[in-house]
Amino acid sequence: MTEPSITAQDFEKFREFFYRKTGIQFELSKRYFVDKRLIDRIEATQSGSFRNYFTMLRFEASGEELQHLTNLMTVNETYFFREEYQFQCLVNSILPDLITRKQDSKPIRIWAIPSSSGEEPYSIAIYLLEYWAGIAKWDIEIVSSDIDTQILSQARKGFYSKRSVQHLPEHLLRKYFTAHLDGYLISDDLKQAVDFTRVNLSDRADTRAYRDFDIVFCRNLLIYFDDVSRKAAAETFYDAMKPGGFICLGHSESMSRFSSLYKVRKFPEAIVYQKPLEAR
Amino acid sequence: MAFVKSQPVGPIADDERKQPRDCANLEAELDSPNPTARRWAARDLTDCPQASAALVRRLNCEDDVSVREVILSTLTALGDEVAVAGLVQCLRSENASLRNEAIEAMKQLPEEVASIMRVLLQDADADVRIFAVNILESLRHPEVESWLITVIEQDPLLNVCATAVDLLGEVGTAAAREPLKRLNLRFPDEPYIQFATDLALKRINGD
Repeated sequence: MTEPSITAQDFEKFREFFYRKTGIQFELSKRYFVDKRLIDRIEATQSGSFRNYFTMLRFEASGEELQHLTNLMTVNETYFFREEYQFQCLVNSILPDLITRKQDSKPIRIWAIPSSSGEEPYSIAIYLLEYWAGIAKWDIEIVSSDIDTQILSQARKGFYSKRSVQHLPEHLLRKYFTAHLDGYLISDDLKQAVDFTRVNLSDRADTRAYRDFDIVFCRNLLIYFDDVSRKAAAETFYDAMKPGGFICLGHSESMSRFSSLYKVRKFPEAIVYQKPLEAR
Repeated sequence: MAFVKSQPVGPIADDERKQPRDCANLEAELDSPNPTARRWAARDLTDCPQASAALVRRLNCEDDVSVREVILSTLTALGDEVAVAGLVQCLRSENASLRNEAIEAMKQLPEEVASIMRVLLQDADADVRIFAVNILESLRHPEVESWLITVIEQDPLLNVCATAVDLLGEVGTAAAREPLKRLNLRFPDEPYIQFATDLALKRINGD
């Protein structure tokens, strides 16, 4: 049997469809990456051709295949303490700023999206436990979300390669992980610290319930979005945050380029964005 | 104190809502005194193909920038004739923020804006013509250069031509060379035009 092929028109058709569903835009340079995964799924589902597979993808009521494909198309490479300066900013600048204004004793709510395999939300939890004295006084709620259900399940398991933990100080590795086979298993306490949820940031029905966050981490996700989807994401975060809440983006991303909703806050460790205090 | 978890977060079902989310109710919600309700109504109106008129009406009196941003995003998503006409109307507004927001929104609608670009570039109001050139700045459309050439060949006003020349310096090709030279001759006593066309020609020639 010959291997199914993806023509330029097929690629365009798929690209447009996938963008509408997820907000993720594939440039032409990603053609090989996309084609390879499409062909894998055409074969796995025994669809025989792109045309048959695409019809199934579009009209399947359960959306199961679309979710499966999304899992394959999203990039999930990260590691513990990546862009650590932002965690330093969190404990040294952002949280002190928030607390001086906080007028209730409700938990401080943090949303980390995308969760990927969990390195980022767990890094936040470790950083708070190790480097923020306020943890003795305040409750913290960490919610972490991803569009990829497979990666969420991996995050909940909390098992990591040596490469993933290589930037963690040795004493923290010993304290929060157990060496296991050829990797490290994160402690049950940390697993309990993070609530992992499935969210498509481009789907209003998914994001509507996400409200009242004090801090959002959305690093290295919007680089995969086009201008329209980035702007829509900025608007979604705006409604997910409390007035005066902060949002941290990846080091190559700038909110000011696509939205004027937020104020720029320059802290010694990092530039972050703030929903205006007077916002409603 | 410790890490805590609240109730599991899940999608909000339609029957949990205070107001039905049909198109008529969403349009009515655009006038809610609560900006969050207005933002969500504007966002959900993306699913209502006939909503552009109501969104444009609200846009013109909306004073909360966060609601305006969502309305503009929805108008961009709808992208129909009414939406585009509403955005064009914003170009005539006295409110500079609204004008700039409309320009940014129109940049996201290359095909829809393309169909009215020639009309915009011949508008009786010179400011509107300048804003139209501003839209071309990042409009992904193959006609951008030819529109700019038409401007520098035909527009009688110095400021409009100057704005177009600046942009031609970035996007111009060999096709713009002769029109730029002719523009120089049209405004021989205007040092800025002399300077800007020289610079644009240098860039096009790769000097």
